[in-house]
Amino acid sequence: MSSGRDPQGMTRRQLMVHSAWFGAAVVLTVAGGEVISHVAGSAGAAQTQARPTLRFAQISDSHIGFTGTANTSVTGTFTEAINQVNGLGFTPDFVIHTGDLTHLSKPAQFDQVKQMLTGLNTAHIFTVPGEHDSVDDGGQKYRQAFGAGTRGDGWYSFDIAGVHVIGLVNTLSFSKMGAGHLGTDQLDFIEKDVAPLSSDTPVIVFSHFPLFAMYPAWGWGTDDATQALSYLRRFSSVTCLNGHVHQLFTKTEGNITFHTATTTAYPLPHPGDGPAPKPVTLPAGKLHDALGIREVSYIKGQQTLALKEQKLS
Amino acid sequence: MTSTPTNITSSPPTTAVSSTAANRAGRLAVRIGIAATLAISGVIHAYLYIHGYQYIPTSGTAFLVQASVFCALGVLVAAGGPAWLRWAGGVLSVAALIAFALSRTVGLSGFTEHGWNPAPQAAISVAAEALTVVLVAFTVLSRRRRTPIT
Repeated sequence: MSSGRDPQGMTRRQLMVHSAWFGAAVVLTVAGGEVISHVAGSAGAAQTQARPTLRFAQISDSHIGFTGTANTSVTGTFTEAINQVNGLGFTPDFVIHTGDLTHLSKPAQFDQVKQMLTGLNTAHIFTVPGEHDSVDDGGQKYRQAFGAGTRGDGWYSFDIAGVHVIGLVNTLSFSKMGAGHLGTDQLDFIEKDVAPLSSDTPVIVFSHFPLFAMYPAWGWGTDDATQALSYLRRFSSVTCLNGHVHQLFTKTEGNITFHTATTTAYPLPHPGDGPAPKPVTLPAGKLHDALGIREVSYIKGQQTLALKEQKLS
Repeated sequence: MTSTPTNITSSPPTTAVSSTAANRAGRLAVRIGIAATLAISGVIHAYLYIHGYQYIPTSGTAFLVQASVFCALGVLVAAGGPAWLRWAGGVLSVAALIAFALSRTVGLSGFTEHGWNPAPQAAISVAAEALTVVLVAFTVLSRRRRTPIT
């Protein structure tokens, strides 16, 4: 009959005791996770019941006109993105497209994307241009299609539900490294635009290039963004949403949070993966996982916006 | 004529007893210290998760997992769990510190933060995790000293 004791190891009793502690660790971890999720969810649910002050959707980098193996039907995936926004279960206060609506700024491509955007079930559609929307004309065709009511080269601001929203253009000129540029006129606009606002006004900023140095070697940044952000640092909540990099990325800098968006067209490599950010062709069936839309909610009194990323279904 | 001492051994046992009691108190203090620092780090991550970090892809979920694991370890270490629970806390604290460093440099799963933001949570959390590592290292070294080398 076995004594139950391994002379080189632990007794059965010791094994049972350790197993019990391990089990307790697992149970406590799961229970703790449930409690934290519940608290976070309760806060969110209470806010949802109160109806968010502002709800909008972000789509980006549709690259209408792109042909290549990375996505053989950018119009198809863009249509799916539009349908997904329409199926959110609520009517967004507005939809923002953060640039690269077209791939080569062709008139037909602008016509097509403008026509497709009319399929969105929302009261307002806002856009900012990407560098693909101003390939050879400094954004002239873009402004003809989408520039109504904007100032300068297409920048603008508006107030909605107590939130101040700014749309910037940082794709008309570039630094030596290829980063975006705002320019003096636009910086002046930002400074004057936010000057009368109280510091507790939530601010949302849209741009195509990131307003932070995400990967300068690939030009993933804006060379004079520091100046622009200096006008915004006094605000308790600033959320900057951009496109261009075709992938999700978040950076916080004090009260300023940057969120890059994914794309509806094709993925780009992660920063530094390869010599240049060329379209990535994924294995069959994997493309939709890399594409998506973003749902954004703001509750009055909250410092942060609630972002919900959705893969293209 | 010489007399034979009859009570010569009474003093050393008293010293040994008080020394053992001091060691026990020291080990208890270290254990409570590890439990407290683990719990502090966990609670801070839970707070950040509830107050906005839940919306950060991947990293938000990592904050939830970190919070629940660290809080669980903190409770179990305080309750007198076996040594491997403390070691796990030490290893995970090192991992948390590495993740903090990555998030301030090259980024971590598409997430970066700047300096000691959010303040003061970032600094407190790093201090707690560093202290956990120090205390766990202390217990490991103490244990090796007590264990005779064969």
